[in-house]
Amino acid sequence: MPMYQPSKRDMVVGFEGGGDGQILDLDTAVKDGVLGGVDGGVVGTGVGEKLDLRKMIQELDLCEVPTVFICPISLEPMQDPVTLCTGQTYERNNILKWFNLGHFTCPTTMQELWDDSITPNTTLYRLIYTWFSQKYLLMKKRSEDVQGRASELVETLKKVKGQARVHALKELHHVVAVHATARKSVIDGGGVSVLSSLLGPFTSHAVGSEVIGILVSLTLDSESKKNLMQPAKISLMVDILNEGSIETKINCTRLIESLIEEKDFRSEIISSHSLLVGLMRLVKDKRHSNGICPGLSLLRTVCFYKEVKILLVSIGAVSQLVELLSGMEHECLELALCVLDSLSSIPEGRVALKDCVSTIPIMVRLLMRISESCTQYALSILWSVCKLAPEECSSIAVDAGLAAKLLLVIQSGCNPILKQQAAELLKLCSLNYSDTIFISKCKLTRTIQ
Amino acid sequence: MLCFVTENMGLLCSKSRRYNDANTEENAQAAEIERRIELETKAEKHIQKLLLLGAGESGKSTIFKQIKLLFQTGFDEAELKSYLPVIHANVYQTIKLLHDGSKEFAQNDVNFSKYVISDENKDIGEKLSEIGGRMDYPRLTKELAQEIESLWRDAAIQETYARGNELQVPDCTHYFMENLERLSDANYVPTKEDVLLARVRTTGVVEIQFSPVGENKKSGEVYRLFDVGGQRNERRKWIHLFEGVSAVIFCVAISEYDQTLFEDENKNRMMETKELFEWVLKQQCFEKTSFMLFLNKFDIFEKKIPDVPLNVCEWFKDYQPVSTGKQEVEHAYEFVKKKFEESYFQNTAPDSVDRVFKIYRTTALDQKVVKKTFKLVDETLRRRNLFEAGLL
Repeated sequence: MPMYQPSKRDMVVGFEGGGDGQILDLDTAVKDGVLGGVDGGVVGTGVGEKLDLRKMIQELDLCEVPTVFICPISLEPMQDPVTLCTGQTYERNNILKWFNLGHFTCPTTMQELWDDSITPNTTLYRLIYTWFSQKYLLMKKRSEDVQGRASELVETLKKVKGQARVHALKELHHVVAVHATARKSVIDGGGVSVLSSLLGPFTSHAVGSEVIGILVSLTLDSESKKNLMQPAKISLMVDILNEGSIETKINCTRLIESLIEEKDFRSEIISSHSLLVGLMRLVKDKRHSNGICPGLSLLRTVCFYKEVKILLVSIGAVSQLVELLSGMEHECLELALCVLDSLSSIPEGRVALKDCVSTIPIMVRLLMRISESCTQYALSILWSVCKLAPEECSSIAVDAGLAAKLLLVIQSGCNPILKQQAAELLKLCSLNYSDTIFISKCKLTRTIQ
Repeated sequence: MLCFVTENMGLLCSKSRRYNDANTEENAQAAEIERRIELETKAEKHIQKLLLLGAGESGKSTIFKQIKLLFQTGFDEAELKSYLPVIHANVYQTIKLLHDGSKEFAQNDVNFSKYVISDENKDIGEKLSEIGGRMDYPRLTKELAQEIESLWRDAAIQETYARGNELQVPDCTHYFMENLERLSDANYVPTKEDVLLARVRTTGVVEIQFSPVGENKKSGEVYRLFDVGGQRNERRKWIHLFEGVSAVIFCVAISEYDQTLFEDENKNRMMETKELFEWVLKQQCFEKTSFMLFLNKFDIFEKKIPDVPLNVCEWFKDYQPVSTGKQEVEHAYEFVKKKFEESYFQNTAPDSVDRVFKIYRTTALDQKVVKKTFKLVDETLRRRNLFEAGLL
């Protein structure tokens, strides 16, 4: 039975009430989890004030900071804690602002201050500083580890083949996905050209899909992009896009899109049946909806080129896209409409749009429903179709309620060009009807009449 | 008592007492056969069947031989020797073709003089032409080999060879002609390379069963490869027998865009291949079959492109060169590839668009290339199986 009981007054490890006098230095105290924040690892060597507290707080950007370190006013970690006469501590700038607004109370206790002095809380500052330093050093070390690992993997890839290559790639893919620092070290270590060289006509799917997954998360410079634009490599990307898992498909799509942005891009590389069919398949995929937007985004980019437009229409993309519109999310809708609008600029596209039964009703429905851009595209498509076969199409359109929608556009706050287009389309459609019939078709209220 | 009953039960069930023993033996045999059938049917299901298709001389049989060399025990001495008469036959056939061809050009061509065989070789030429026309060929002796060589070196024959695409000169010509000394040796045993180049028209169907041995030796995939003749014949009658194959490996010799058919000298070979390809794509029996397109003979294609523009072939008439040298070859290759892609999508029904379609660049004579290519084919088919089983 112990003769001396440690005081329970301070439920803090290391501080014993009474005269045992064990004084721990700050680093050890914090290391052993005084405030429950740091978990083992790095031994802080009482780092001098070299590390800037503000910088550390910013870089670490932690969510879980001990509450006693947080300023009650800003809810941010304190960099210059000061204590009022009530014993409450705040960030200096914040409490001064509070005073400048004319308040002389303690914000948390609501007490009137009997003393306007503010005392710098050096103890708390030291604790905050040490705690953040330890976290920071740990993060730096981990980051270096990661960077080292990434560089190691790039070196490994220069040498190994077969299964070892696939393993190295998988690990590198994981490392690069999680750590931004790893990405930088891959680029700096010449990793991009190593990875690029792994892509060729005899690259297996396993290797190719991992390489693409890594490349897509790196920022590639002009030289690398040009290198990747070789026909054999693009062919491989298209093949992998057609065969891979949904993540791989999306990666391929994004990578190809980033390459197209490069100047000197030869459009014949992307006017490929396989690519367009693959993208359409991605867009139509009911099981994986996260592929729709990337697929449409690339389609929109490639539709800039005339050969691609013709090719896209020839594979029946128009009707497929129109049918998909009803079930689409808003972001995707705008992209899809942009593609269709692009296709309406070629004669084959216009014909395909006209031949698709759902085009007109869906376009009419979409007017003034989603966004101004969507309305603009829908209007443009309707214009193309109605211009092609005015009598036939305008009657379908008017029956679908086009006139009322157009009037809405004209009356809305849209940009003037759009309103002008709406007016012209209205005029085109009304040509075939007598005034009374047309107005009845508009289903207008008395006042507007 | 019981055994008496069971014995007599047997007697009652069988037709005649005398044949009792024979019957049980028959029954046992029948049961054994049934069991074997069942086992084999089960095993069959796991065997992936591959069908080699393509026009004549597209390289199907070479691929077939390569697979045999790569994944089976290759050719043993007896098999290698069995090719000797074929190789000798090729030599006679080829020199006859060249000789007769030069005579034809000498008669009809504007620059006829360069196709006239020199006096010292004229008689040799006639003699060889006669031999080449026989049903059975004599053994290739040193004397005959020397005569063939001297004819081969004749300027007229070389000029004729330069226009070989207008005749039916096979691709192995140069190789065999340059190796005559070795081929005519008394103890000549054909090498692997010789066998790969030997040209014999495939009749009927040949098949081999093999397992690609990869890094993980227990890969377990078993393939059976079928090679059918390529010349025009009644394809439509037997093609449906191959329904259910895992993949069709369609071979195309991309170097033959300037050549005509063996069966019909007015028809361009590439056009024939295009028609065959489109015909095969539309066959109902292949609706769900994976298609592996082997664009073969790239090595010959590479050498031809600088001299013979692609547009000589009607299908490629809209081709426009952009540069020279290696870049141009790559550009030309991509053009051809795109044409086949276009053809594929134009001839595939919308609901079949999901079947696997991949294009590979091959040089069937290069074993390394065939091995690498086949590894990719294997990977694709395996992924397809996993996909169809819902595991991917």
